[in-house]
Amino acid sequence: MALLYGLLWRLLLVLVHVNRALVVWLRVRLRSWKGRLWERAVAGLLLPVALAGFPDHQKKLDQNPDANANPVTGNRTAGRRSRWLSDGRSLEKLPVHIGLLVTEEEPSYTDIANLVVWCMAVGISYVSVYDNHGVFRKNNSHLLEEIVRQQQDLLGAEGSKCNVEFLSHGSDKRQHHVVSCSPTVKVLSPEDGKQSIVQAAQQLCRSVENKERSSKDISVSMLDVLLRESKNVPDPELVVKFGPVDSTLGFLPWHIRLTEFISLPSHRNVSYEDLLSVLQRFGSCQQRLGH
Amino acid sequence: MSWIREGELNLLEKISANILKAGPMPKHVAFIMDGNRRFARKKNMERQEGHMQGFNKLAETLRWCKHLDIREVTVYAFSIENFKRSKNEVDGLMELARHKFEKLLDEWENLEKHGVCVRVLGDLNMLPLDLQQLIAKAVVSTKAHNKCFLNVCFAYTSRYEITNAVREMAWGVEQGLIKASDVSEPLLSECLYSNKSPNPDLLIRTSGEVRLSDFLLWQTSHSCLVFQSVLWPEYSFWNLCEAILQYQLNHTSIQKARDLHREHQAFQQLEADRACVAEHLQHHGNGKPADAQRRQEALLRYSTCREERIQDFLEALKRKRDSFFNDLWSDGVST
Repeated sequence: MALLYGLLWRLLLVLVHVNRALVVWLRVRLRSWKGRLWERAVAGLLLPVALAGFPDHQKKLDQNPDANANPVTGNRTAGRRSRWLSDGRSLEKLPVHIGLLVTEEEPSYTDIANLVVWCMAVGISYVSVYDNHGVFRKNNSHLLEEIVRQQQDLLGAEGSKCNVEFLSHGSDKRQHHVVSCSPTVKVLSPEDGKQSIVQAAQQLCRSVENKERSSKDISVSMLDVLLRESKNVPDPELVVKFGPVDSTLGFLPWHIRLTEFISLPSHRNVSYEDLLSVLQRFGSCQQRLGH
Repeated sequence: MSWIREGELNLLEKISANILKAGPMPKHVAFIMDGNRRFARKKNMERQEGHMQGFNKLAETLRWCKHLDIREVTVYAFSIENFKRSKNEVDGLMELARHKFEKLLDEWENLEKHGVCVRVLGDLNMLPLDLQQLIAKAVVSTKAHNKCFLNVCFAYTSRYEITNAVREMAWGVEQGLIKASDVSEPLLSECLYSNKSPNPDLLIRTSGEVRLSDFLLWQTSHSCLVFQSVLWPEYSFWNLCEAILQYQLNHTSIQKARDLHREHQAFQQLEADRACVAEHLQHHGNGKPADAQRRQEALLRYSTCREERIQDFLEALKRKRDSFFNDLWSDGVST
């Protein structure tokens, strides 16, 4: 009997995987079709939508295939820049800090760089990039180069003022590319999560050990200030999760208490429209803050 | 209505449960039971009625979990942020809680029969005293049960919980039980309200919201998160199966991530111990650099001492927490 159930379970998984593959294939095929047809096709495959894990962005916009395929010319980049800026302004709300959580192994630096540049172009002030193997952290110079390259490609010379900060665990190493301008990119790894909280806790305990304060003085705001001091960014209002894993994988546990999580299937070949639809979805999220 | 629902699953449910159980099953599931008020609006009921329905759904969900061999369930019943709601609603919720905990105590025999251990996690001193006493009674009287565990987060937020854990460690330092250098990730976990439970394998939030709202942020860093759009009072056995299937699809990659994290954490502990030992040898050595063997012996001695210190501290913490509940209980009895 157990054997039978085991087989049925494996069959169930196979069915789910097939369904998912179908959904992905259809999504690619139907990209150029009208939105309603896509919805109907997906409704027909009801189960996979339900099993899509983190709710996917559901609205498909009019496609602009032109977005980043063309060679750079002054006019085009200026046009793109102003379009992206106006897209940002037209959104109901824009996150001040967005997190890009990549759960896929072997990330594509070009695609991440694109995402970072689009986020900044749309008007988001802080962009954090995270993966749970610390790959981005280890290769931060590569990522920086890619971001600068994409900035020049997509935004032209005007757009390449950005403050790219790479959080370095422990010591105060900060690499700035070009000074000024508000958008900031942070590269995070698991050490910035629980380990940072532990370090802050150690600091507080040491001050108690040195009789500088009493344990009763320790409050939520005290811990919050410590955790913010080393990162000096606001909490991420939105985290876009890329890849099939439905978990935060250690991303900044303290800071994500009110963060909205929206997922995209993959960061590879992600388009500007994908990002924009996520931002639109974010715009419709209502935070009640306990009320 | 009762906390414990009797009753078997129907045939189709039983078959589905058996199919799911052929794969890896979560041992601890956490629920953010969201959507009671929206449900009440949808059905033109009073809000209070929506919360009542929400409680009934909880009891039913516990029954399903029992049949699915899910032994531990944690629920987010009341957030510290919810104190911001209107006085009317907060009082109503406190009244509902009083009613439910009284009912729980009435059903004690049933709880014993099913071996249900009820724990309440949160900053309980924010609650009215009589409710605290009821809670203490429920917790103390079910403490010894060990077949299944229900953790109710009441007057809880994750940040308060983490801060409290840091405060407890600082208290340990003040009492001379541990050193500041003993503070580590595992130690912090042991100081949380949820220290008796393993981390949740699966976190489910209903009603379509896609955030964690300050719930178990530390404990769910490597859990499978499932967001479902169904409103909590309308939650069905099939919704639960869907979530479990999601968990199963993620199982391998999440397990891998957990193992990676654990390895990394163990490495960091070793490095921290090495640093402490190196410092110690420097201060107490005779000026000559210690050889590898001496370093190794010192390292072993140091980590053994550290672990003993930590055990003593955790014992003291446990005694402190137990006496908090016991004192409340005996105060409650005598009034």
